[in-house]
Amino acid sequence: MYGVQNILAKIAQFSLESKKINVCGNDKAVLLAFEIQDYKNLLNILKEKDIKIKYLTNITKDNLSTCKKLLEYVGEMRHLDGISTNFSVSDSEYLATSSLIKMQQPQPIDQLIYSNVDEIVEQQKFVFESLWNKSTPAEQRIKELEDFYNVGRTEIIYNPTFSKEMLIDLVKKSKNEVLLLLPTINAFLREYRIGVFNYLKDAAQNRKLNVKILTPTNDEICTIIQKIKHNNLKNFIIYPFEVASQIKINTITILTVDEKESLVIEKTDDSKENFEDAIGLSIYSSSKPTVMSYVSIFESLINQIDLYEQLKIHGKMQEEFINIASHELRTPVQAIIAYCDLLEYHPEKKGEMIDALKRNATALQRLAEDILVVTKIESKTLVLHKEKFNLNELLIEIIEDYKNNMYYQKDNKDIKLSLKYSDIDKKTCIIDADYQRILQVISNLLDNAFKFTKELKDNGEIYITIEERKQEAGQRYIIINILDNGKGIDPNIMPRLFTKFATKSNKGTGLGLYICKSIIEAHGGKIWAENKKEGNGAIFSFSLPFEN
Amino acid sequence: MPSIITNKKTSNDKNNRILIVDDEYDIALAFKIGLEDHGFAVDVFNDAQEALVNFSKSKYNLLLLDIKMPKLNGIEFYLKMKEIDNKAKVCFITASETYYYENLIKKIFNLLNTRSLFRKPIKLKELIKALEKELNC
Repeated sequence: MYGVQNILAKIAQFSLESKKINVCGNDKAVLLAFEIQDYKNLLNILKEKDIKIKYLTNITKDNLSTCKKLLEYVGEMRHLDGISTNFSVSDSEYLATSSLIKMQQPQPIDQLIYSNVDEIVEQQKFVFESLWNKSTPAEQRIKELEDFYNVGRTEIIYNPTFSKEMLIDLVKKSKNEVLLLLPTINAFLREYRIGVFNYLKDAAQNRKLNVKILTPTNDEICTIIQKIKHNNLKNFIIYPFEVASQIKINTITILTVDEKESLVIEKTDDSKENFEDAIGLSIYSSSKPTVMSYVSIFESLINQIDLYEQLKIHGKMQEEFINIASHELRTPVQAIIAYCDLLEYHPEKKGEMIDALKRNATALQRLAEDILVVTKIESKTLVLHKEKFNLNELLIEIIEDYKNNMYYQKDNKDIKLSLKYSDIDKKTCIIDADYQRILQVISNLLDNAFKFTKELKDNGEIYITIEERKQEAGQRYIIINILDNGKGIDPNIMPRLFTKFATKSNKGTGLGLYICKSIIEAHGGKIWAENKKEGNGAIFSFSLPFEN
Repeated sequence: MPSIITNKKTSNDKNNRILIVDDEYDIALAFKIGLEDHGFAVDVFNDAQEALVNFSKSKYNLLLLDIKMPKLNGIEFYLKMKEIDNKAKVCFITASETYYYENLIKKIFNLLNTRSLFRKPIKLKELIKALEKELNC
């Protein structure tokens, strides 16, 4: 058959008279259906009449979007690589053309083969079925291509109402994750009024959607956030940020959905209360690179907020430390200055005043040293000078020193101090550590133990025990326990025991345990304390990794 | 160490009776010696609660109070003391940063009866000068 109009009429007749049609077309055939108005009209009519079409074709990157459109018209579409023939067969008729193969631009078919001979029709039906059975579903092929080529579309939406609808649509069809960045306080309020947050909260609650919202904040916003968040959902997080956190994205709203689609809305007039009046154009994208770039922007901003919050807390802690430290330093200095002034006028009180001077000078020296160590720890510049030594020998040495020390003899000579071992080979207590620092830790813990047992006089007992423990990863640890039978640790102080200036006794600086903790942890160990389960007294313990 | 340091009996007509409350034994003693050298009659307490028990109207012309003390601090002590004798002059001394307390003291005291907040360390000479100034106005 020849003649475009003739052929068109024939195709129409063929299609409309059958209840089902099998169509096989090459990759260009698909384009025909939408590019040529007459064919498009025919397709619409077929759809209205609900005529079942089985469409077999070669889906490629180039006809991908058209195939997707065609999917809405045909009953089933499947893909087979290399299809190049163009034919259609119904129950009783057969059409074919070769003119599509050489076409550059889609043009109406001008040459057609037609038959209604039974044998030919049956034969072509069979051909179609064989090809159909070898093919793969169109949806699968489309997804493969899209994933492979990251084919998505990017659209500019000029109409603010459409932008608003798009925003709501995207939020409604989200499945896994929604990220939302708001540029200004007013933007937050506008979106609050159109119900976006409540919708997201419900979705987070009911269908486990992960929601993260970044918004500038002030007192009003804070109150609203409290209202929205009252259920404490773990998957619905709002990150409020202040001006001081230096986040300066204040002209666009960014929404991403499931890491697959993004919508970026430009804010043109922040003074408007109505959402549609405040915005300009918006850009929708389902193209992976674009969407992922917005996702990473979002994640960097969350990071920035976290860091800023940490900085604030750290700043407060620093301020507190400086305040307390300066108070502690000025106290002995005041005593020293006063007694230096008085000494020359009171020779009769010389002895007491010199004692007071010594006392306060020592306290000042200890405190200054401790503050220096703490400063090094805080600025992470504390250097450990490690060497291999036997921890057991260090302990024996320390105990000897204590027993010989004048101070010990005066106040504490009646207190029993001894070393006990459990299941450990004394010769193999080799650790790789800073000798002086470990010495400092043990001395500090012992000093504390003496402080608490002093009043018991000869009923006071301090034991040091050494044991070995093995962790899961195979690392062996040596554990030192220092047990005393004093009055034990005050439960009120327990949680803050190893923090700065938690406990302030007359001879202590308040920093000892904090420094011990820092030293032990810098060696890869742990330090902890508890009261004895039976009887009075406390147990301070620390662990250090064995030299492997 | 005893908490009360030999407090002598004082005569009521001289304008020189001072009460020092400071939990630091060494500092309180040094101040007492220094002030007594200058002709003041000084009582010292290291425990604010004990000082309160011992306090009575018109017993002192001026109080020198440390602020940061355990159990009862200097400001709390002042408020309780005021109920007994609201004419006594008060000076505060602290080893903390003074800005910490300046606003609080301004709020509580309305500039009446005290305008003195000293910071440790302070030389005895300066302390004596400031206390005399406060007593004489």
